Amino acid sequence: MSDAEIFKVRNRLANHVSEPGGMTAGMAGTRAARELAAQQGKSYEAIGEALETLEWLCQDKAAPMDSVYDLSTTVLDIAGLFDDKQLCRAAYSLCELADKLRTRGAADWAPIKIHVNGMRLIWNTAEADREGLNAMVEGLWSLTEHLSIGDGEAEAPAA
Amino acid sequence: MSLHPDVRLNLARSNVLLIDDNEQALEVLASIFRGFGVHRQVKCGSAADAQAVLRSREIDLIVCDTVMPDMDGYAFVRWLRREGPEEARFAPVIMLTGHAARSTIESSRDCGANFIVSKPFTPEVLLQRIYWVAKDERSMVRSDSYVGPDRRFRNVGPPLGVKGRRKDDLSAHIGIAKDPNMDQDEIDNLLKPQRAAL
Repeated sequence: MSDAEIFKVRNRLANHVSEPGGMTAGMAGTRAARELAAQQGKSYEAIGEALETLEWLCQDKAAPMDSVYDLSTTVLDIAGLFDDKQLCRAAYSLCELADKLRTRGAADWAPIKIHVNGMRLIWNTAEADREGLNAMVEGLWSLTEHLSIGDGEAEAPAA
Repeated sequence: MSLHPDVRLNLARSNVLLIDDNEQALEVLASIFRGFGVHRQVKCGSAADAQAVLRSREIDLIVCDTVMPDMDGYAFVRWLRREGPEEARFAPVIMLTGHAARSTIESSRDCGANFIVSKPFTPEVLLQRIYWVAKDERSMVRSDSYVGPDRRFRNVGPPLGVKGRRKDDLSAHIGIAKDPNMDQDEIDNLLKPQRAAL
């Protein structure tokens, strides 16, 4: 094996960031929140569509686990940009579950359906009323962990 | 923890490349960057599109989703660091990750990104990471198995009055160690990779 080469590179971003003008971090955060709010409608629509498709897959029970994984990452991807921790945690658990099942070459629709129902419940509950759903999300994680016994550990992300 | 609200930064002249196969997530990401004052942003729905952009445009920051069909974010960054156009090869990269599939854990560690930000996150957290990347003075490393920012940390130890200082941390700036060295379990716990709640 050849030796590692270590060298400095020019970071143009550093130069730009330090240029006069711009805005404060506080102002940037406020502006970004305003832009995010404008995107909320379409984004929630996209999450709703992904949940609907997942519900349909659970009825049909014929889709490959890759489809379940892709749809749960779609939910996680969009909800993650809105800092929706509960929905992300539930979607993450479903990703973990689908990833395990596809690795084993298995399909187990009952726990997937429980996850999808849980995600739908979170989705239909106003943010202010969601505290009572924490135990349910933990339950989804327990289910995924239980199904992983003998398959390595499923490490739950911090709440 | 996010940037102090009074910290000033200027992203108006930065060329930012945003990559995500999910159209809506890409739109949302672009809107966050608009809020940050980024006027020059290029949106790509695939790694292949991003490769074409990098061959024709100067880019200062790349923000890339990890899960994408065909070429995922990790493979894209590996390509960039090894075979990317000379001008862009060492551009800062922030990866946005939702779920880390087992098959991708090793490639995520070794892809050569500057930062990996896990979802969910707030715009404030993303802005802080951009600022960190801009202020990142780490050298680049090129070896057979890895190309990317130097992952070795130059550690002069925690400051005076903070527990966990070691004999080797001594320096004129830091002063004399007052606590015993950390034991191996404590060190292992410090280095153990864990998901962070942001």
